[in-house]
Amino acid sequence: MIQVEGLKKRFKLSREHNKNKTSDDSRERDGHFHSVESVSFQCQKGEVLGLLGPNGAGKTTTLRLLSTALSPDSGAIIVAGQDIVKNPLHGRRHIGFLSGTTGLYGRLSAKENVEYFARLHGLKGKKLKDRCELLFETLDMTSFLDKRSDSLSTGMKQKTSIARAVVHDPQVVILDEPTTGLDIMTKQTLLSFIRQLKEQGTPVIFSTHHLDEVDMLCDRVCVIDKGISCFEGDLGAFREQGQNSELNQAFLNIIQGGQHV
Amino acid sequence: MFEVMLKELRELLRDRKTLFFVIALPIVIFPVLFGFVAFLTSKAALEAEQKVHTFYVVNEDFARPFADTLFYHRSFKRYAGDTKFDTVEALRDAVRRGIIDVGIYIPSSPQEQLSQGNQTRFQVIFNDAQSINYIYDRIKKVIDEYSAKLTEQALINLGVEENKQAAVLKPVLMEKVDTADRRENIGEKIGAFIPYMLIPLVLMGASYPAIDLGAGEKERGTLETLLLTPLTRTQLVLGKFFTILISSIACALVTVSSMSVWIWVASGFGALDPILSAFATVTQWDFLLIFALLLPVAMMLSSLVLAISIYARSFKEAQNYMGPLSMLVFVPIVISVLPNMVLDAKTAWIPITNVALAIKEIVKGTVDYQAVALIFLASTMLAAALLACCVRWFSRESVLFR
Repeated sequence: MIQVEGLKKRFKLSREHNKNKTSDDSRERDGHFHSVESVSFQCQKGEVLGLLGPNGAGKTTTLRLLSTALSPDSGAIIVAGQDIVKNPLHGRRHIGFLSGTTGLYGRLSAKENVEYFARLHGLKGKKLKDRCELLFETLDMTSFLDKRSDSLSTGMKQKTSIARAVVHDPQVVILDEPTTGLDIMTKQTLLSFIRQLKEQGTPVIFSTHHLDEVDMLCDRVCVIDKGISCFEGDLGAFREQGQNSELNQAFLNIIQGGQHV
Repeated sequence: MFEVMLKELRELLRDRKTLFFVIALPIVIFPVLFGFVAFLTSKAALEAEQKVHTFYVVNEDFARPFADTLFYHRSFKRYAGDTKFDTVEALRDAVRRGIIDVGIYIPSSPQEQLSQGNQTRFQVIFNDAQSINYIYDRIKKVIDEYSAKLTEQALINLGVEENKQAAVLKPVLMEKVDTADRRENIGEKIGAFIPYMLIPLVLMGASYPAIDLGAGEKERGTLETLLLTPLTRTQLVLGKFFTILISSIACALVTVSSMSVWIWVASGFGALDPILSAFATVTQWDFLLIFALLLPVAMMLSSLVLAISIYARSFKEAQNYMGPLSMLVFVPIVISVLPNMVLDAKTAWIPITNVALAIKEIVKGTVDYQAVALIFLASTMLAAALLACCVRWFSRESVLFR
């Protein structure tokens, strides 16, 4: 399981930005942009958590904090009993992370890419081979394993990225808008992969703008708006607070409700 | 760390652009270019040497033997046209219009002037703006010979016998006894040239892969993937550093070996015999030492370019930084070429200059091993400091996610 409490992250604004300050965003103050102000949620074993929120709400920053690529100014992220803010290496060993900015090495083949990251995670010899073969089978990748990842299609790349993200058998999987830009078939592969992870009991957190995916997969939902997690609960509670059984409308109501307060 | 290095190397080997710059350029293109330049220079020199100059002498009758020598000289041809020139201005005009190559104005008879104790001034008019030009030397030789003949005659007239004339004209001679042997002498000239070529090559071999490994990784969006792996930033930086180091040394080695092949080919034609015989005493130990000295330079430059590349936002930005850097690297090399620069306790601490000077000393055969040890120490310290910078920057969010 993974538990996130009171995450905060701010970025320094550039000097030019400070000088000709035009926007009156409440998150821009004292020379910093407060991207994430207070985000808390948790995801239990075997649960899928959907992370929702408008563009620029701080979703990607939150997920980057979880991936340990960025470190938070305050707050705690507890994975497998340890705070990974204090021990990022522990986090990297136990989290599988995939986002739009985690690319593949174009001059290596799909197989080499996955194996490279497996080796960096300390897998060797037969263990590495078995793990990779299992992944290639499940993700239906065998037809393009030896192609350079430069020449792969978007869907093939995404499958390779997934294999890369979970090659070390992580205890938590975090996906940042994994279905964006994929065709229906590849999207289906991805969704069934998430389902499979769920069956294995691996918690999955993914951010998305597609509420039908949320409806299909998620047990819990967390809504982030302006750097603050303004809702966390299961789908029933989501519909209730949004006062609508239609998820899209419920989402809009929750965001607007937060703004009125 | 070695996983990172192996993978980076494998990726580099698949990158044709980098391979081209690191391997093809030094093996094939440089020697071809050097050969082409050498060919053009020697051709120009040969043409200048074989050129026959058209001359015109005003008042030839004042110095008949001189005019005759010029007339029979194989590099001179008498002006065959009808125009007569009788002043310096007229000659100058003729040279400018290309009618003649050289004009000589004789104001009076040197023989008569000599008997009265006066000197005679021959005015030689020609265009001296070409860098390879034999006119002056050739005319001077003819005039000197003519002048010597007149001296000889005058001395005989004064009663000095021919066999005593040399002593009268120059009673004291000076002979140079050089304590430097030929190797030291030629080494001073060639030894400075070797670092001039090798060090920029090391830089080139380092900078191309470095751009790819740092800024390139940012641009292609693989940096974040790499940061998620359970490796410390130090391990990542070291893995990348060793890749760049190997590439830079490979570039220098490939070039040196291709150069030696080409030199061997050239020496087959006997073109370099004097130089080769002077360096027969350069041992394999010396070559090893030169290579060993390149190592700290390569380390330093590799860590420097890696730091720059990690800092840069994109490929293009990294390349923009590399340009001025190569200029900066040339400055300390040029310092080492300055006359009378030697390796001492002070210069041993100037990075790059110290190695360039030491390589020169090795080629000359006068190297001080204590200074070499000092250089190793200084360069390694600098490289380590730069690497520490790399690690620091590689952990800074503001640099990674610029």
